[in-house]
Amino acid sequence: MTTYFIRRILLMVPTFLGSTILIFVILQMAPGGPLEQTIQQLQAGAMQSGESVGSVGDIMGGGSSVLPPSALRELKRFYGFDKPIYQRYLSWLGVWPREIKHREVKFENGATEAQKNVGRGTYMTLRLEDDLVQVYDKDGKLSNVWKASIDTDGAEENLILATIFQTEFSGILTGNLGTSYTYDQPVTEVMAPRFKISVFFGLTGLFLSYIVCIPLGIRKALNHGSAFDFLSSVTIFVAYSIPGFALGGVLLVLFGGGTFWDVFPLGGFRSPTDVWETLSLWGQIKDQLWHAVLPIIAWSIGSFAGLTVLMKNSLLENISQDYIRTAFAKGLQEKRVIWVHAIRNSVIPIASGIGGVIGVVIAGSYLIEKVFNIDGFGKMGFQAILDRDYPITLGFLVIVVMIRLVANILSDIALASVDPRIRFK
Amino acid sequence: MPEQQEISLSILKKRWLKFKTLKRGYYSFILLIVLYGLSWFLPALINNRALIVSYDGELYFPVVSGYHSGSEFNQDVPGEALYRELQATWKQAGSDNWLILPLYPYSPFEDITVQGNKMYEPPSRTHWLGTDNTGRDVFARLCYAFNISISFALVLTILNYIIGVIIGGSMGYFGGKFDLFFQRIIEIWSSLPMLFVIIIISSIIRPSFFLLIFIYTIVNWIGMTYLMRAEFYREKSKDYVAAALSMGQTNFKVMFKHILPNSMVPIITYFPFAVVGGISALVGLDYLGFGMPPPTPSWGQMLDVGLQNISKWWMVFAPVSAQFVTLIMVVFIGEAVREAFDPKVYSRLR
Repeated sequence: MTTYFIRRILLMVPTFLGSTILIFVILQMAPGGPLEQTIQQLQAGAMQSGESVGSVGDIMGGGSSVLPPSALRELKRFYGFDKPIYQRYLSWLGVWPREIKHREVKFENGATEAQKNVGRGTYMTLRLEDDLVQVYDKDGKLSNVWKASIDTDGAEENLILATIFQTEFSGILTGNLGTSYTYDQPVTEVMAPRFKISVFFGLTGLFLSYIVCIPLGIRKALNHGSAFDFLSSVTIFVAYSIPGFALGGVLLVLFGGGTFWDVFPLGGFRSPTDVWETLSLWGQIKDQLWHAVLPIIAWSIGSFAGLTVLMKNSLLENISQDYIRTAFAKGLQEKRVIWVHAIRNSVIPIASGIGGVIGVVIAGSYLIEKVFNIDGFGKMGFQAILDRDYPITLGFLVIVVMIRLVANILSDIALASVDPRIRFK
Repeated sequence: MPEQQEISLSILKKRWLKFKTLKRGYYSFILLIVLYGLSWFLPALINNRALIVSYDGELYFPVVSGYHSGSEFNQDVPGEALYRELQATWKQAGSDNWLILPLYPYSPFEDITVQGNKMYEPPSRTHWLGTDNTGRDVFARLCYAFNISISFALVLTILNYIIGVIIGGSMGYFGGKFDLFFQRIIEIWSSLPMLFVIIIISSIIRPSFFLLIFIYTIVNWIGMTYLMRAEFYREKSKDYVAAALSMGQTNFKVMFKHILPNSMVPIITYFPFAVVGGISALVGLDYLGFGMPPPTPSWGQMLDVGLQNISKWWMVFAPVSAQFVTLIMVVFIGEAVREAFDPKVYSRLR
């Protein structure tokens, strides 16, 4: 058993690599990426100031443009497009050195040596040797901190351009998800508060749906075919046929104070900060719950139908088993037979599903977050795609993939621990 | 001994008869088929172009022939003739010219640029479900969107099934390296949040109807594939397969003539629920703005407009109810199909 789980955990690695490579390639190959968008914005800015500009293609090709080649190079470097895609992926992972603190160096007309101030009054000497550039410190020794390379594109006649830089291993494996383009903050800092919000809703919704669905399923199974069973089945059909976010929209129209009743706020996670801070602790709790009621209903509705039907069918199946008949034949009371014998076996499929539900609940909620205008994790990921904010998009997907992979293993562990008959191999 | 008339029914026929006894599912099935069939004739039912125009003794068929300028019928409007006004003026003047309008004389695309249309009109006798943010009739758009949604879900599901049967079937039937390879791919695929991947792809290329189906199929084939893999894997070890193989049948024939018909139960029972998934997915994508290109009528896009203007309640209720009614019919069908194909008999307590 332990071997099985160790193998499962090891198998996560190729799956993780495979899915990140796939996402990375799709994003990086896509036209209209952050580089092109920035260039377009700069172009639009230039257009407004009345200068004539060429097309994006011109600029990319280094032709007539408002962007000087050095600025273009700087942009490309900022977005990482100066390197081939496999290098970008590997340095994003953190196993390929990333170039940092780069500065440009010019070699004047035929010179083979140039000096560069690299900060704090330290000068480095760059020497052209064959096709390479070597960096020497002030004692004339080869520097082991600074490296340099020749820039080929955008080079002008009689002028050799080089870049001097340091290298560092830093990527998702070292916990560095990069810096967001739009927020100008480390990705982890952008994510943390939003992730908390989504987890709050996800876990509350999960907890609530289990609390409602398990007893409901049990009651339906015990009264199979009764009026109660029929009526609750109708509710389940309704819940199954209306997606959570659409229900959220209907609830907002009804209770958000548009045309009908003004009971709940129109959205948001809680009151704005300036109001929030004036509230007492009790007031804060009330405010939080007041904002959370509608989104949580929308959140839980998705798993409501599935869970209830699963619980009901699983219990029904168990009740028709021989061991239940045996228990009755032994003269046990109905209560004991059902609550001790049958229920224990019926929760097995529910327990095994918990991993999958967690994965979906935490990550798959951006539609609801959008409806209720909650600044959560899913909405952040969605907005990042719109903004072409690749560090956030990638970071978001990495976290979602990780949650799913871990959740899968968790549900197997849960299954194995509630059902001793199960032996994975 | 009296000759006993034994009517032998094929299993499919038995199941069909059983399905017919499940009224809720059966009537939903009939109703949905009729509505979907009708929805192909929407241009003749819900449209702002007249069916027949008789003008100066000559007959015109604008629904079929398309654009006619207003000046052709001596109507003083820029661009296309306004048939509703034309009818009113002719009636008032008592002229010999006449025209027949479709039952519901509004098109899903005519917006405020057409005279007399207003933004956000609440439901009334002329506009049954009001108008939207550009003055388009909500009811007309709702009906056209019904056709698109169902078509989308059907084509998508069938495509997924074809891929699922071929790849999943081969995985289960041949096993070995082929199976292992695709298992890894499926594992990678299922770890990705697929709606997000679709959004990424749609934000790069503006999808058309078939492109959207193509994208959605690429990310959505694994469910059916896995189901078929398990099914073929189980059937493969049965005696009839060994018998067919020993008689010299080819692998292809064994897979599609022998195993496939025996794997029909999960294929058919799963179908309605796959359709539900397809419809919901399209609404979600349209709501986010990554579905069908505008101005295609779509429930998701209407919901988006409605949720941006919460006080225009009809813009939210109309698409949600339409989606709800459609989905619940499909769910009823699915439940009845499951009951007919895969009945579970539960013994009662004691």
